[in-house]
Amino acid sequence: MNTAIYTKSLSDSRRSLLGWTLGTATIGMMYASTYPSQKENTASLPEAMREALHTDATAAGYLQTSVFGLIVPLLATIYGTATGSRTTASEEESGQLDLLLAHPLPRSRLLLQRFGALVTGAVAVSALVWVAMLAVRGSADLTSITPVEFLAQCVNLALLAIVFGALATGLGAASGRRVVVLAGTAAVGVLTYTAHAFAAQLGADWLARLSPFHYYIGSEPLKHGFQWADVSVLAGTAAVLVGLGTAAFARRDVNS
Amino acid sequence: MENAIELRELTKTYGTRRGLAGLSLEVCAGEVFGFLGPNGAGKSTTIRLLLDLIRPTGGTATVLGLDPRRDGVELRGRVGYLAGDFVCDGRQNVRTYLRFLAALRGGVPQERIDGLADRLGLDQSAKIKKLSKGNRQKVGLVQAFMHTPELLVLDEPTSGLDPLVQQTFLDLVSEAAAQGQTVFMSSHVMAEVEAVADRVGIIRDGRLVALDTVAGLRAGTVRDVRITFADPVPEAAFAQIEGAQQLRLDGHGTTLTGRLTGSPDPLVKALARYTVTGIRLTEPALDELFHSYYAGAEAAPRTTPAGTATTAGTAGTAA
Repeated sequence: MNTAIYTKSLSDSRRSLLGWTLGTATIGMMYASTYPSQKENTASLPEAMREALHTDATAAGYLQTSVFGLIVPLLATIYGTATGSRTTASEEESGQLDLLLAHPLPRSRLLLQRFGALVTGAVAVSALVWVAMLAVRGSADLTSITPVEFLAQCVNLALLAIVFGALATGLGAASGRRVVVLAGTAAVGVLTYTAHAFAAQLGADWLARLSPFHYYIGSEPLKHGFQWADVSVLAGTAAVLVGLGTAAFARRDVNS
Repeated sequence: MENAIELRELTKTYGTRRGLAGLSLEVCAGEVFGFLGPNGAGKSTTIRLLLDLIRPTGGTATVLGLDPRRDGVELRGRVGYLAGDFVCDGRQNVRTYLRFLAALRGGVPQERIDGLADRLGLDQSAKIKKLSKGNRQKVGLVQAFMHTPELLVLDEPTSGLDPLVQQTFLDLVSEAAAQGQTVFMSSHVMAEVEAVADRVGIIRDGRLVALDTVAGLRAGTVRDVRITFADPVPEAAFAQIEGAQQLRLDGHGTTLTGRLTGSPDPLVKALARYTVTGIRLTEPALDELFHSYYAGAEAAPRTTPAGTATTAGTAGTAA
């Protein structure tokens, strides 16, 4: 199998990928390190407030609201969207896709190898976040969370980035337009995050189940370890999105 | 295999806009075919259909005996393509990028790439985005020729190239043809295909309006004539000459000027009866012929493609 596209995608994005991995891991580490000073604050919050924030005074509860509840998944979502928009949409808009697609490779191979590079990047980002958590686990008083529980949450983090990468890839493959990719992914991101955060308050639990964020953190992997059903839902969603995009891409005209 | 390219009633519509309107065309294996037309006539649409970058609304295309849609991968492996507006990823240097493109084809000998780059005067260590338009076009030419494909599909290949490099390009085309490769090249300048093309097709509004050999097209073209005589000649002396309807004698009857259509032979035979002191027949530029197809098009915008093509063919036979 000719993997030239995959190799080149990774090599082209090596600098930005280095930035993403180091940046995300550093930010995650910094936030996680504040647990000892924040734990008292969390404990003093009124019960109702803690409910709303899905938090409690435990290390897992704190990380679920701060590091893994907000900042790191936000970065992962942006990584997935930005990288996914470059799967085909950016180059199609600039006219560069003609050259590659005039070579003897099926369109699906171009798409899937580029997406493969995106998956590799998402795994790298999450792996380094995991390493960063293990690095501060002792010093930041996070030993109540086992390395495996951290790993479970980081796997979900990678899958979250991959789902948004798949959405961006699929939208780009189907439309060929970057604006559709960015607007579509941003809209889905905001709506599904909101659904995840407020479904309980709205008394509409079913709403949360439409959100990738629910499968990412809803079952609290930091407390309960791997949730294979959630992992499957995230992986399956990504596969379906890329599959639909590939099918649409194969059927339509390449924009000139 | 007889034909490298066979197009049958190929149509392509973009929304309400017409790209191609029933284009039929055959390009024989081993020939150099010039595909002429102004911008927007449908040249790039045709070429992108050949490579399965876009799909026809109707009709069929067969390239190297293959269906672009079904056998696209095999087809593109045997074709070298240069886009009309060649753009590529500019972040790396020329050598790395060409090696990447070669890898997509399963590899091309480095000497072949180096040889082509040297002939075109392309510095492979330069970053692509720092290259001038002409040098970037050279990258496009190298990647199209490097794997010695059976069929070269070149869309406006010489745009941006300086005259010296254009000559090198024409040499490359001639060499490719000598090796039995087929070349299908589009242009909006007749002069650039004139030198190498065996046959020329002219496309207008998505239809083929002329198809002939270069010699045949030239035979049907118009020459500017100026002939002077020692003594006045009768006014009606040349009125019956084929193709000479646009020639006029001046008041003295000693100077004949105007345009001659088709072969100059009947006029030359008629002139023999008089004493000619000066004669000038301009070599017909195919460019003019090309323009005449378009000038005529405005008067009669919907000439049937078959009819026009036959006219050109007849003129060719008459010569």
